[in-house]
Amino acid sequence: MTSMYVLDVPENTPLAKVAAEDPAVTVGRIGPYFEITSDAAIVIDRRATGCRHAVWYSAISGIARDSRITQHDKNALRVEPA
Amino acid sequence: MTELDHRVKGVDHAAFPTFDPAGTVRFYRDVLGFPVVHSICAVGWGPEDHPDFIHFFFDIGNDDRIAFFYYFGLEPVHSRERGDAYAGFGPEVPEFFVRSRHLAIHVEKEDDLLEYRRRLDDSAWPVKMQIKHETIESIYTHDPNGYLIEITMPLRPVTPQEDLDANLTIDALLDVLAQPGPTLGKLLARKAELIVDRAPAWELARAGQEAGR
Repeated sequence: MTSMYVLDVPENTPLAKVAAEDPAVTVGRIGPYFEITSDAAIVIDRRATGCRHAVWYSAISGIARDSRITQHDKNALRVEPA
Repeated sequence: MTELDHRVKGVDHAAFPTFDPAGTVRFYRDVLGFPVVHSICAVGWGPEDHPDFIHFFFDIGNDDRIAFFYYFGLEPVHSRERGDAYAGFGPEVPEFFVRSRHLAIHVEKEDDLLEYRRRLDDSAWPVKMQIKHETIESIYTHDPNGYLIEITMPLRPVTPQEDLDANLTIDALLDVLAQPGPTLGKLLARKAELIVDRAPAWELARAGQEAGR
């Protein structure tokens, strides 16, 4: 299981929306956070989100201990099972 | 989160030394239009060999003030090219570190930000950067003393959940600092646990507060 958390604020909502376009990914909620989960990798294309760099590189609030970031650059964010 | 009552009322003044008081007055009073609101002319006294000095203040809005000390006869305390009137840095200090300390002055809207941009661009201290950050947009320049000055406006109102998130970040930071080798990765793992533990109760409590209004 791959799990990550993103705070629900206006500039982060495109990130959750793009993540949800992958049918293997579930975007739920826990409190005011998006809980983004998948049985496999979560991959989010930065350009598809339209997020500027300052938002893109600070959007992650939490990564569950059984998951790890394997890519976080100007192209994409990739979180995989640890 | 703290249970202590919060009594303070913003910045009374933030003070800096200057070796260029004329440039400092031009920059803050004549270019930016910050009124001079207070000054002290003092004869040096006390156990140290303290020079005579002027301590002068500019209003930065909200009755908050930026203040300077000018010491008669004192020569600059360093000759390094990098840094400011207060401190100089050698080539071993990374640029991001040198640029980290700054004063950010708040404006409420874009029209105000652009007005200060215009004033600076018409002066000897033009804007060096205009940057859209996460939730604020800012202009930057260095004042005549080399101090990095930011003028910033909010891009949107702050939301209540950002306070929760900030507190979870700090608690996660303190937890990972208590272990050897703190990293952002360890912080995000700890913060994920805190989110699962605390975020649902925070939202319930907040919904209760809203309903009680």
